[in-house]
Amino acid sequence: MTRYQLAEHPTIEVEVITAGLACCTLEVEAAATAGLLLPVSGEQISPAPSILVISGTVTDALLPAVLAQIDRFPEARLMSFGACATSGGPYWDSPPVTKGIDQFADVAVYVAGCPPRPDAFVAALLDLAHSGVAP
Amino acid sequence: MIHSFIALLPDKCTSCMLCVRECPAWCIHLDSHTEEVTDAGARRPKKINVLDSFDIDYSLCMYCGICVDVCPFDALEWDQHRALISDSRADLTLGITQLTSENDSAN
Repeated sequence: MTRYQLAEHPTIEVEVITAGLACCTLEVEAAATAGLLLPVSGEQISPAPSILVISGTVTDALLPAVLAQIDRFPEARLMSFGACATSGGPYWDSPPVTKGIDQFADVAVYVAGCPPRPDAFVAALLDLAHSGVAP
Repeated sequence: MIHSFIALLPDKCTSCMLCVRECPAWCIHLDSHTEEVTDAGARRPKKINVLDSFDIDYSLCMYCGICVDVCPFDALEWDQHRALISDSRADLTLGITQLTSENDSAN
């Protein structure tokens, strides 16, 4: 578990579960390296996150675990980060890959890219935050 | 340059379908029809392809640039563009107008 806050919007905190689905997860660290995210000390998990980011390839085998996390936070809005989470991406014709998390849960915002750039991650977070979700 | 958008120059596109067939993610959809054109002084009319629709599904695109490389007529080019963020997956599929106007606004 790593915690960050947005450099230009410190009230928005990002918690990263160190169990990435695939390579898109690394973009958070890339954003931190680029100075878009600043590390925050502390290990506690937010009891009610307002945004959940699904980043990376969701396989049918892993889908129940992902949906269980989504069900834990019914108030949270979903961000589908990257081509894999949105549509299966380059694995769109692979049988074990889930072609879009939006088949199983409502997605508030889609971010295109393979992977999207770190600034796209920050832009999408701000987009959600400014559209009425308390950060 | 940041490779964040693939723009279309529709006047250069001959609907040859190379980009569609080479795309690893199969995210390009192209439709065209054939028209006969009679040039002045020509002995018989020639047939040309007319582009009807050209869509890039950016929810699938992996920004590999193979389409840009294979296009024999340089009708696709890298462009700088803001991140594509949408609240609808369908809106991530861009047609001729959007692929072109983004290109114009960047220049």
